[in-house]
Amino acid sequence: MELVRAQRRDEAIAVLLPAFRRKVFGLAFSFLRNREAAEDVTQDVFIKVWRALPAFDGRASLSTWIYTIARNASLSALRARRPQSSLSDPEVMDAVDAIDTAAPADSMVERAALLRLVDQLPRKQRQVIVLFYMEEQSHEEVATMLAMPVGTVKTLLHRARARLSAAAGN
Amino acid sequence: MSTRDSQLDKHLEALFGGLDTAADFDTRLMTRLQAASQTDAAERAIRVQQERLRYRKAQLGLRSWHRSVLRLLTLDTLGIAVLLVVAIVTAWPHLDRDVLDISRQYVPYIATLLGVLVTAVPLVGTWVERTRGPVSLR
Repeated sequence: MELVRAQRRDEAIAVLLPAFRRKVFGLAFSFLRNREAAEDVTQDVFIKVWRALPAFDGRASLSTWIYTIARNASLSALRARRPQSSLSDPEVMDAVDAIDTAAPADSMVERAALLRLVDQLPRKQRQVIVLFYMEEQSHEEVATMLAMPVGTVKTLLHRARARLSAAAGN
Repeated sequence: MSTRDSQLDKHLEALFGGLDTAADFDTRLMTRLQAASQTDAAERAIRVQQERLRYRKAQLGLRSWHRSVLRLLTLDTLGIAVLLVVAIVTAWPHLDRDVLDISRQYVPYIATLLGVLVTAVPLVGTWVERTRGPVSLR
């Protein structure tokens, strides 16, 4: 925050990048369901943050401000790139599989099936699921990222898990 | 939490827990930031130059406007003086004898005052123009 106040935006971005890169990427991914598009949006978000840092007045917290930029950028990208891809598209599956290449083959099949189930969830439930399991299961962090009350996050998560659990049981 | 729920948790965590950008993300971003920084600096320099040109143009415009006002003021003063003379000359034969007698006493003063006015206005205007310093634009 001192670096931001001192208008040293290059140094500020070097500090912000490791702290927010993954979170911004996760947020963009939860909207776009495409790894490359989410990376592009994440890059754009950090460039926007870098440009807008001198105008940041500190009225909102830095994280809230960054997440707002990330949400807006993701929504714009989402509108610009219709028709949508989905989590169960082959390219997305490959990208997610690349996260853990050491996983055994049968677990890959389970993962693919689970991805399809997650993909069928309503958008907000899907976003909560992606971010909750990415963000070490913090309801508060997910609520900040999606600008939702913590209670709403808990409800969405509960419904999504119930749905996934029921679908997986069938 | 049931076993099935905890299994689901494990699977979801395995799916999304490791979600991260590509390894070269930071390098690519820094390259883009450097390029953006250079573009910004170039754009800023162009904007400063344009602003300077605009300022100089406005300054010249304002100076020329001052000169026009001064010229107009000089002509106005001259016109007023001429009108006064014409009015006096026209009214002179119709004035009462007593008024004429009193007026005659003041003719030199009135003539002097008109002369001073006609000479002083452009002089004062020119002096103000020279001593006021650079034209300020707000």
